[in-house]
This record gives sequence, C-alpha cells and structure tokens, in this order.
Amino acid sequence: MKDKGPKIIITVFSLILGIFIAMQIKLNLETYSPVTISSLQLAKGQIENTKKEIIELEKIEKTKEEELKVLENISEGDDNIIDILSLDLEKNKIYSGFSKLEGPGVEITMYDNQEKRDWWFDINDDVIHDVDILNILNDLKIAGAEAISLNGERVMSTSEIKCGGPTIRINDRSSATPFVIKAIGDVKLLKAAVSASGTNGDILKNVYQKGFEVVAKDKIIISAYEGEIDFKYARPLEEGD
Amino acid sequence: MLFALIGILIGAIIGFVLPYTYNASYSLYISVAILACLDSVFGGIRANLEQKFDIRMFVSGFFGNAIIAAFLAYLGDKLGVPLYYAAIVVFGGRLFENFAKIRRNLLTKGE
Repeated sequence: MKDKGPKIIITVFSLILGIFIAMQIKLNLETYSPVTISSLQLAKGQIENTKKEIIELEKIEKTKEEELKVLENISEGDDNIIDILSLDLEKNKIYSGFSKLEGPGVEITMYDNQEKRDWWFDINDDVIHDVDILNILNDLKIAGAEAISLNGERVMSTSEIKCGGPTIRINDRSSATPFVIKAIGDVKLLKAAVSASGTNGDILKNVYQKGFEVVAKDKIIISAYEGEIDFKYARPLEEGD
Repeated sequence: MLFALIGILIGAIIGFVLPYTYNASYSLYISVAILACLDSVFGGIRANLEQKFDIRMFVSGFFGNAIIAAFLAYLGDKLGVPLYYAAIVVFGGRLFENFAKIRRNLLTKGE
C-alpha cells in the first residue's frame, strides 16, 4: 500500500490536471499578443468609421421618418396632398430638364477658325464639328455638370447632336456658329475639364486653333426643354414582372 | 511517469467529453495554474522515485502553487505588469529541473 499510494494520488491529480488542460484547449483561444500603437490606432479608426456610419444611418432614419409622416398625412386624407404632389412635380421637372435653372457655371463659346488659309489647307481642320461638341458635352458631364444647354437648347437625355453641314442640329433645331455651351456645376471642375492641357477643349484651341473660349460665371441661366418627349416603344416595366 | 501520463490522458478525455467550460476571460489564470499543477505533478513523480513522497506536501503544493500562480496573474492584470511571467519562468524552469532529475533517477536505476 505504501508503494502504491503515491502512484494512485499522482494519477488522480494528473486526472484533474488533464481535465483542466482539455477545458483550456476546448476554449479555442486566440493567442495573446501585446497591444501595439499601430493596432490601437487601427482600432481607433475602425471605431470612428463605425460612429460615422451610425450618424449617417440616423440621418437616413430621420428623413425616412419624415417621409413616412407625410405619407401618413396623405393616408389620413389631408388636403395638402395637392401641395405634396405639386412639390413632387416641381422636383421631377428639375431633374428631367423641364424647368429653367440658374446657378454658377461656365459658358463656352466655340466658333470656326477665322484665319485665311492657303488653298491646299483642309477646311475641315478649321470647322467646329458635331464630334467636337459631343466631346465637350461629355467632358462637362464627367466634371459633374448638372444642367447643360447648347445655343439655348437644353441638352436632354434624348438630345441629338447632328451634323448638318455648316450647322448642327440639336432637339430638332438647327443652329450655326458660334456655339454657346452653358453648364451649371462646380465652376472649378467644369473649367478644368475643358481647359486643362490635354483635354479635348485644349486640343481644339491650341492644336487646331479653332475658336474656343471658356468663361466662368457666378450666375448662369439655362432654359428649359421646350419640346415634347413622346415614347413610342419604351414602356415602364410593371412591378412584379 | 507512465501512470501520470495515463492520468492526464484520461483526464483530457473526460474534459473533452464534459460539457462544462469556464469564462474565457479567466483563461490566462487557468493556464498559469495549469503550469503550476504540471510542475507539482512532476515534482510528485520525482519525490516518488526518490522515496520521499509526502501526500501533504504534494497536495498542498498542487493547490497552493496553482492558486499563487493564478493570483500572480490576476495581480499583474490589475497592476498592469505581466507578473504571470514570473510564474511561467519559475514553474517552467522547475518543470525541466524535475524532469531532468526524473530522467537521471530512472536511468541510473536501470544500471
């Protein structure tokens, strides 16, 4: 007994030890690592980002709640449904180009090269083409222009820029040089988009020597689209289809 | 030596089978305590081989060391100094020392 006693006790206690080791392994812990300054800053940044997200989500929640209130008022049969609808109409008119707009922007004047040339010179290099105007319009859109007009014609999603010999046709109306493009948007961005070196505007002006003037203005008025849009083929997709 | 290993193995199997776990925040204390217990078991084996095994010594060492090690880790956490390193170094060192003595004992006995 004296010989076996210690062995039994040690076995029992190592049993206990084994249980604890197994429990520790079962927890599946990640290894402890000292907190470094960079990891602290990383965590800080993540927390700040999450906080910002929360604030933004709260803002969205507020606007949605307001919308809900308006809708609830409508469902209760308030008289202001007409007001709400007309406000909606106004908004949609602005977005779709059916209302006159004003704001800061740029005015671009494009005209043909007035210089006298020798007989062998290709006249096409001196004339403003539809493609030149298309390029400028696209550059303005890239720079975030909110409304654009060409010679007083609003540039819509359906507006065509068609070469008509010496003239250019837009919204089924022909116009000739000088072509005046007005655009409302971030003045600096718009101006840079058409006059920075390497842009289409810069190439027109300095390589082809065509008339190309950009003027930044605090107040630009862009007229509304006056034609009618009549869709023959496109139909709205009914929900649930 | 062998019976301690068998004990640990059986204990591990029991531990895996048992559904109980403790809070993960205590894991540091438990792990240091495990090291202390391991040291005590090795010490017990050594004492047994040297015919000096005392049950009171063994049991008090087993629990006392574990408690002190866990307490050191806890105190270190509170003070902001990793005091459990002390337990790791001491018990880890003693573990090897005990193992060396067990080895010597077993090998010299065989001759």
